[in-house]
Amino acid sequence: MKFHFFHLMPYPDLPDDFRQRYHGVWVDLPAAELFDPVVGHHAYNDYLDELEFADQSGFDGICVNEHHQNAYGLMPSPNLMIAALARRTSRAKLVVMGDSVALYNPPTRVAEETAMLDVLSGGRLVAGFPVGTPMDTTYCYGETPATLRDKYREGVELILRAWQSTEPFAFNGRYTQLRYVNIWPRPIQKPHPPVWIPGSGSVETWDWCADHSFLYAYLSYFGYLRGQKVMQGFWEAVARRGLEPNPYRAGFLQFVAVADSDAEAERLYAKHALYFYNRCLHLYPGFASPPGYTSLATIRQGIEGQIKLAADRNKELEDLTWAQILDRGYVVAGSPDTVVQRLTEMEQTLRVGHLMVLLQFGDMPKDTVLYNTTRFAQEVMPRLRPMWNEWADKWWPRDTLPTLAEPAPLPTPIPA
Amino acid sequence: MRATTIALGPPPPAATPQFNGGASRGASREIDHDRASRDLNGGVGRQQTVYRAGDGPPLVWLHSLYGPEADAPLIDALAEHYSVYAPLAPGFADLDDLNELRDIHDLALHYDDILDALSLSGVAVAGHSFGAMLAAELAAHVPSRVARLVLLSPLGLWNDAYPVADLFAIPAAEAPQLLYADPSRAPSSGGSKPDVEQVIALTRGMTTVARFLWPIPDRGLARRLRRVRAPTLVVHGELDRFVPVQYADDFVALLPHATRQIIPGVGHMLLVEAFDQVMDAILTDLASFKWGVAAASPSRIV
Repeated sequence: MKFHFFHLMPYPDLPDDFRQRYHGVWVDLPAAELFDPVVGHHAYNDYLDELEFADQSGFDGICVNEHHQNAYGLMPSPNLMIAALARRTSRAKLVVMGDSVALYNPPTRVAEETAMLDVLSGGRLVAGFPVGTPMDTTYCYGETPATLRDKYREGVELILRAWQSTEPFAFNGRYTQLRYVNIWPRPIQKPHPPVWIPGSGSVETWDWCADHSFLYAYLSYFGYLRGQKVMQGFWEAVARRGLEPNPYRAGFLQFVAVADSDAEAERLYAKHALYFYNRCLHLYPGFASPPGYTSLATIRQGIEGQIKLAADRNKELEDLTWAQILDRGYVVAGSPDTVVQRLTEMEQTLRVGHLMVLLQFGDMPKDTVLYNTTRFAQEVMPRLRPMWNEWADKWWPRDTLPTLAEPAPLPTPIPA
Repeated sequence: MRATTIALGPPPPAATPQFNGGASRGASREIDHDRASRDLNGGVGRQQTVYRAGDGPPLVWLHSLYGPEADAPLIDALAEHYSVYAPLAPGFADLDDLNELRDIHDLALHYDDILDALSLSGVAVAGHSFGAMLAAELAAHVPSRVARLVLLSPLGLWNDAYPVADLFAIPAAEAPQLLYADPSRAPSSGGSKPDVEQVIALTRGMTTVARFLWPIPDRGLARRLRRVRAPTLVVHGELDRFVPVQYADDFVALLPHATRQIIPGVGHMLLVEAFDQVMDAILTDLASFKWGVAAASPSRIV
C-alpha cells in the first residue's frame, strides 16, 4: 500500500475562547481581527518544511488541498504550494487534493496549472478534483448549489479533453464556452495525470468514479468507524459494474499520532487534536446545507456529509475530550504497535490502497510534527507496506522522468 | 383547489387545455399531486401543474417560498371572488423541470407560456415573495400579458444599504425569526422530526428558489421594471427582516405605475401574520381594475 503525508495548513493561533466568541471557523470569521500575517508567514514556512521532510522520510505522496475563507485550511490555492514543493522535493509524488474545478473560470485554468506542475515536477503530479465543500463553493465563491455538480462535471470533462486533445478544439458547454482550447504546456504523463476524486459521501460520486476509473478518496475527519458506510457504498458501486475490487481505486484520510506509549501519545498530541476538533471544526450549521448542494438521492440514502456532522456539534457546549476522540476513532494514537493494529483493522474494513495521514493537527509545532512523521515513517509504514501487494496500482503516476532536473547551485555573483 | 396539468408546446397543446377538474366555488383544500398526466403529451414538451379554484374574473397567483399548499388559505379566500389560477413553480415537484429553464429569462417566458396555454392575457397577477419576484419578471418580460400586478413583499432587488438577509445561511429552525415579526406565529412542525419525504419536498422547493436567488437575489429586475405597463400595488410588512421594507419604495420608484401599502407590525410572511389586511388590500386594489376585454372568460377554458 501507499502512504501520503497530508497537510491542511491550519491557522495555529485561534484564541482559547474561540467557540464562545465566534459562530464558526469558515466563511465569515473576521480575518482582519484574527489573522496575523506574521504568524501566517511562519506557519506557511513551517508547513512546507514538514511536507518536504515527509518527502525525505519516504512517503509516497505529499498532499495539499483547497479551502476558502477558512482558518483551518490556509490554502485558497493548493497549486501555489505544490509549485513551491516541486523545486525542493524529488521523491514523493505531488498530490493536489485538489482543485475545485467549478470555481475556476474557465476550468482550462486548472488544465494549464496542473500541466505546469506536472512538467515542472517531472511527471510527479496527481490531480485531485473535489466538488468542494458547501462553504468553499456556494458561500465563499457564490456558486449556485443546484448547478454546482453539473458545472463541476462539465469542467472535469473539459480538463480531460484539454490535456489529451491532439488539436485545438471548441467547447460549447452549458457553463463554459471557449472557441479555442489548446493548452500550453501539456502534461508529461500520458494520457494524463491520475485523477483522484475526494468525496464526502454523495451517492452519485461513487458511480461517477467507478464509471470513469477515477480514484475515490474519502477525506474524513471522523475516522474509519464513521467512514465505513461511505466506503462500502463506493465498493458496492464498483461491484455493480463488475469491476475488480482493486484497493488502489480508493483512498482514505486518517489522523495518526505515534509515540512510545498510549500515555505518551496523549501527553504529546492531545492538546493539538483538541485544538483541531474544538476550534478548527467549529462550523456554523447555517453554512452546512445550502439547498441543492446535496442530491435528493443522497438525502434519501440517509448519508450525512461530514460538514453536517461537524456542524451538528456546533451547539454542544462541551468540548470533545481526548478519550472521546480516541474512542470514536477520529484519531488513531498510541505506540507503534497500537497504531499498526488499528490501521490494519481499518485497512481490512475499508479496503483502501492509498492511506493519507494527517500527522500535523491544529496548532502542533514543527518539532512535534517531525517527531510524529519520523516515528510513523520508521515504525508504522514498513509494517503495513506489504498489504495489497498482490494488486497493481493503476491510479499512480507512471511516466515520472527517471532523471529530474534539480535546482542548480547559484553561481558566484559577478563583482561589480 | 384542484391541480391540473397542462401541456406546453411543442407539440402544440390540444385546442382546449386539459383540465382534470373544473372550477368549484368554495374550493376544496384537496390538492391533487398526481402527475401521471405528465405523459399526456406523449412525453414531448413541457408539462405544468396549475392549481385552480373559484369562479369569476381570472386572477393568477404565484406562490411563495413554500409552494401553493402553504398559500392555500389565501387562494381559497381569493376563490370567493375570482377564478384563481396558481401554477406550481417548475422544480417544486421535480427538479428536472429546471433542466431547460436555466435562468430567470427562461423562467419568465415559461410563465408566459403557461398563461398563453390558459388563454389568459391582460390578466391580473399577484404573488408573494419569490412568487412576487416572478410576477414582476413576467410583467417586465411580456408587458402585454399582465394588466394588473400585486406584489406582496417582493424579492428581486438589491441595495447595499439594506441587504436582503441570507435565508439560505441560517439553520432551518431559526427561519421563523427571519420570516416573522413574531416567530411564534410560524406554523408549528408539531415538534416531531419530519420524515424523509417531507425533507425532500422542502429541499426541492428551496433548491428551486435558491437557484434563482443565489447568491444575491438580483437578476437584473431593476433594469427591466421600467417595461411593466400594469398598475401595480406593492404590499410590504413593516418589520420584514428578510426583505427590508425599504424595498417597497425601491419597487415603487422603478415601476411606472405603482403605489405601496405598508402593513405595520408584521414581517415577511404577511399572509400568516396579517391575513385580513392582505386580503383587504388585494380586493380593494383589484376592485378598481377594469376587467378588460383582453381578459379571457374562464368559461372558455374550463
